[in-house]
Amino acid sequence: MQLKHYSLTLLTILVVFFTACQDEEYALPTLEGGLHNDCIKRTLGPNVVGLNIEFAYAMALPQAEGKIISAQVEASIAGAPATYMENRSFSTNGSGVDVPVTVGSASVNTGTKTEVVFSKDTCAATLRYYYIIPEEARGKTVKFTFSAKASNGQTVSYEMGPYSIAKMDMKLDLVVSDNNNSYISIADMAVYNAASATTNAANIDLVYLYRVIPGITFTHALVSPASSPDYLPGVILPSGVNKSTKIWKVWALRDQHLARLQYGVFIDDIDFEKLDFTGAPNYAINLRAEAGTWVETADGKYRAYIYCNSINNTAKTMTVSIKRYPMQ
Amino acid sequence: MKKYFLTFIAITLATFAWVSCTDFPVDEDGLLITTRGQCYVGNFELLGVDFQTVRTKAAVIDTTAQTINVEVFFGTDLKNVYPQFSLVTDAKLDPKIVGKVDFSDLANPKVFTVISGNRLVKKPYTVYVTVQAKP
Repeated sequence: MQLKHYSLTLLTILVVFFTACQDEEYALPTLEGGLHNDCIKRTLGPNVVGLNIEFAYAMALPQAEGKIISAQVEASIAGAPATYMENRSFSTNGSGVDVPVTVGSASVNTGTKTEVVFSKDTCAATLRYYYIIPEEARGKTVKFTFSAKASNGQTVSYEMGPYSIAKMDMKLDLVVSDNNNSYISIADMAVYNAASATTNAANIDLVYLYRVIPGITFTHALVSPASSPDYLPGVILPSGVNKSTKIWKVWALRDQHLARLQYGVFIDDIDFEKLDFTGAPNYAINLRAEAGTWVETADGKYRAYIYCNSINNTAKTMTVSIKRYPMQ
Repeated sequence: MKKYFLTFIAITLATFAWVSCTDFPVDEDGLLITTRGQCYVGNFELLGVDFQTVRTKAAVIDTTAQTINVEVFFGTDLKNVYPQFSLVTDAKLDPKIVGKVDFSDLANPKVFTVISGNRLVKKPYTVYVTVQAKP
């Protein structure tokens, strides 16, 4: 009985040993014939009107079978006029730098289509496509059909999307200054001085001011015109400027579109929809660079995120970037 | 051999049965009730909606008078602040802090009760908030 057990164990060990040592010969992969393609989306975050959606479209066929003669993209909604496809194929060198090789003529937009006709005798290329999001696409979805043609008559195509286009607007680098361009309109996504604020009084949502008051910390502030005079020291409001905008202070919400820093954080439409402004104050004082404020206009028509890109205590200015979402 | 095996199994089962029946008392919140009778606040913090402190300086905690005095920045939105209590080991707070707390009624300061680990000692702490005065 014991001998039988030993034999079985020995046999198992031998089998395992034999299997483990079996050497698999490497063989070169067989080249698959025909024209092939692949595509990736390179941009991250929400798709905002005016920004681009970038793709990298790769196509190749065996050298013996022919060459690529054209590449085309068809979008379900025509891109803005600046939409284009690279006529250069990029490869990354040993230093990590993208090196371009021109493979065709500059892309041509015709309606919803963007096409590059190849002039180089090449059987493989990766072209980048930059779809500049048009106003017509706001709040809709857009999809893309990438296709390539080879000299042997073969064609291939690749579907991408659908991608949702955000409803929100964006405005970058508005400079507000104390006692000058200090009136912010969310509806207009603009900054006004006292004179122009009078003519646009109905649209003024916030007043920017900078104060150094001994004993308290005030500095840079965004305050509703209807806020307590305690938070508007020395401010004489233009006639008709009287809105009460709700404000939540935020720290370190560095949206990449607005901040253009290294943080992979994006504010999307849904973030505005989920905000709750119940009990929110109508002022925010002591703001710093990289701080922000969620705001809701007095009529509830817009919600916005105002990001503070930079502050200047000497010039008494603040540079802000705004994302705005229409609630109605 | 079989006898030893059965004895071993019986001892193991008995040990498991004894361990599983040992009683660890827990309170209504599912927290362990311990033997600790200490009951005090070690530290107090007050955060704004941006999760930044609104204190101008460290809060003064008087464990004898059971008071916490904290001064906040001018313009602090006291209707929407997050208090944070650091309590002695095993103690808990009543009422629980589950979100923003309204401290804006300065005339009626909020009271939080610290309950010791053995749940036998209860000490109410009154939080007095003052706002940095505008000159």
